[in-house]
Amino acid sequence: MAVSRLPAAALSLKQFLQRQKVLGVYRDLLRTIRKIPAESDRRYLRDWAREEFKRNKSETDQDVIRMMITQAHNHLEDLRKSLALAGC
Amino acid sequence: MAARIIARCVRSLNHRTVYFNRINTAATLTAAPLTHGRTLSQLTNGHKSPLAQISGSSFQVFQWRQYGDLPPLTLDTIHDRVLYVLKLYDKINPEKLQAASHFTKDLGLDSLDQVEIIMAMEDEFGFEIPDADAEKLMTPQEIVQYIADKKDVYE
Repeated sequence: MAVSRLPAAALSLKQFLQRQKVLGVYRDLLRTIRKIPAESDRRYLRDWAREEFKRNKSETDQDVIRMMITQAHNHLEDLRKSLALAGC
Repeated sequence: MAARIIARCVRSLNHRTVYFNRINTAATLTAAPLTHGRTLSQLTNGHKSPLAQISGSSFQVFQWRQYGDLPPLTLDTIHDRVLYVLKLYDKINPEKLQAASHFTKDLGLDSLDQVEIIMAMEDEFGFEIPDADAEKLMTPQEIVQYIADKKDVYE
């Protein structure tokens, strides 16, 4: 996910919007993880999310990035549904 | 009897509140019974704010009202807390951290780290920062300014 582009390099509008989407889904993910009751689970998932996003940081292909954003959204929905089932 | 219970609670707090209590028991024995319940809950909550009212003058009946709330924020406390949270963040070198150090340019962080930092600030100060505002905050000074704006802290 092309989130670490230097400000010096000009981003096209599409790339800029995609970058915002990535950061948005990362933020939503962190906010949902915050709601998890167990501290160890919370830490584990936070590290997992961090790892996943950092690993794909240097991706430049827009379609691949779009796919990864969708995957992240799916993970987020799974997490939200599990939390709802567990009663938060 | 309530005074005895209060005295017992106070013994478990620090000695300053014992002084307060000696005045308090004299005062509350003459005051309305309602203040008994209030002081008991105050002392069991460990609320320090009643102490501020006794400073100096003794043997006066105080009608105090306590509301459960956090201590008021000042620019200095916000600044200290922001820097404290940043120092705890593992990717920041505490020696290089200044109020004006830019996250990406000076501290070498990326936007994911900046998101995490703003999340930590949300946790610290207990209110949500919307995405549009969050992505603009790039130095500790800006964060302090933003929180002061949102929390109506003027100096």
